[in-house]
Amino acid sequence: MGLRKRITGRAWKLGDHINTDILHPSPYFSLNETRVKEGLVEGMERLGTDAKKDSSDEGIIIVAGENFGCGSSRETSVRGLRSFGVKGVVAASFARIFFRSLANLGLPALECRDIQEQVRDGELLLLSVEEGWIELADKRRFPFSPIDGHIQKILEAGGLIPYLQKERGKG
Amino acid sequence: MLEGYTDKIIQKHSEGRREGEYEAVDVDFVLLPDPTFALLLSELKDLGGRIWDKEKVFVTVDHFAPPSTIERANIAKAVISFAKNEALPHQSIYQGICHQLLIEGPWLRPGMLVLGADSHTTTAGALGCLATGMGSTDILYTLVTGKTWLRPPKAVRIDLMGKLPPYIMGKDIILDLLGRFGEGGFRYQALEFYDDGGVLSMDDRFAICNMVVEGGAKNGLFAPDQVTKNYLEERDGHSNHWEKSSREDFHYTQELKVDLSSLKPKVALPHSPAHAVTVEEVKGEAIDQVFIGSCTGGRLRDLELTARILKKRKVASGIRLLITPASQKIYQEAMEKGYLQVILEAGGVILNPSCGLCGGIDKGILAAGEKCVSTSNRNFQGRMGDPSSRIYLVSPLTAAASALAGRIIDPREVM
Repeated sequence: MGLRKRITGRAWKLGDHINTDILHPSPYFSLNETRVKEGLVEGMERLGTDAKKDSSDEGIIIVAGENFGCGSSRETSVRGLRSFGVKGVVAASFARIFFRSLANLGLPALECRDIQEQVRDGELLLLSVEEGWIELADKRRFPFSPIDGHIQKILEAGGLIPYLQKERGKG
Repeated sequence: MLEGYTDKIIQKHSEGRREGEYEAVDVDFVLLPDPTFALLLSELKDLGGRIWDKEKVFVTVDHFAPPSTIERANIAKAVISFAKNEALPHQSIYQGICHQLLIEGPWLRPGMLVLGADSHTTTAGALGCLATGMGSTDILYTLVTGKTWLRPPKAVRIDLMGKLPPYIMGKDIILDLLGRFGEGGFRYQALEFYDDGGVLSMDDRFAICNMVVEGGAKNGLFAPDQVTKNYLEERDGHSNHWEKSSREDFHYTQELKVDLSSLKPKVALPHSPAHAVTVEEVKGEAIDQVFIGSCTGGRLRDLELTARILKKRKVASGIRLLITPASQKIYQEAMEKGYLQVILEAGGVILNPSCGLCGGIDKGILAAGEKCVSTSNRNFQGRMGDPSSRIYLVSPLTAAASALAGRIIDPREVM
């Protein structure tokens, strides 16, 4: 695996303080991937987004507001996003457990405060992790905050477990 | 200069390796509740299946306790089998909620660095530990290596001052702070509480540290003092020693003072723990169910004060009062002290210790449109049942008083 330098995807817009209980309701906690994915569909429905119910071949980029992913540490929320085809997550700010879990599962979590008002649900976005910007359908580019050196290494490895295997290899 | 206890604990556990803003640190203890531990089991096996130090982990079956579906039974079974096959020395099946068992057990002392695969691991910070929750993959990394990577947080010193009114509990104090600073108000920060007057019980301190995560904090802790020392001595049956730090050692980013004497009972309205107002402001709101329990509000003091309110009274007609003691130990003590008898006579229903009700996992699930007053920590939409149900977070005193009235009332009305 490893980090894809450029990511395209349809925007899923979410608001501020979206907690993991609503994003992925606890009755859908499961070790079964299909069931976990169903939980995300239920969550999206509760959040009232226009999210398509099928995974998109184009990939999905979440655009959320402040404190995204607050609440429970249940990683099924992030696993649900990943198996649904989410390729990247942009938010004004992240809750800390959720932020770590995104990177740990190889999903770039990028902080950008300027685009929440600008992005339309479903519009095609282009994201350059390497160059640090996100491009809207009308070609306007917005920079996101620099990725921390440690998080960068985890993302480059493809997640925390591949990172660990690299670390062990060196040791 | 050190930022506070949290910074001091990180420095003491640092390996001296840094990447970006993150520091590699040694972990002293790991809490592993059933669902989130089950989520990492197959990957742990792929990595060789070896836990770095079996003495330093504690496995609990508390979320699916006992399981209510076949799928959950299988998840619990996977955890139970693993713990048995690996002969893990510290494990518990159905003995209580993990966060309560963690602090009842003999393992934690001030100055330790503790992780848990559950966001409310912050509870243990009341013992002067750096305790924080993480997702399953982070915990897997720690189980294999004995380490984690931490971004040292900014610390906020919070002085709890003045006389504690008899109608105010730890829950009111944390709801007040959450209401003032918001759901993300303490994101990535360490909250360090000082109770120099020693007015708060350990149970109140646990409730406060339990909910710091609802403000986004990485951890919350109480500066170890005589109350901590007494708790540890009673727990361990012998005296404990730790290095004491004076306040001059630390340089906090921010300092706050809370005047306890001026606080009023608080309620967090749906659907945010930070949507806190005084109980007076929503007085009279009709309710369907009252829940007293969880890792926030199911401790002995919570049940003691509940019993004090309910004594020789009856729960209002049509109101369901559900109680879950946070552990079997608390259950037994509450029974011996007569609290459970009072609760039963008032019309309350007592359930076994588990995360079931608070997490919408099993029992007491809310129907469409129902309203529940709860001593737990989260009132997110759909947390305890139907997405149209509504949860009001309060202290056990306010919950018990509201159960009597059949509507939300200030506990001072019945004290």
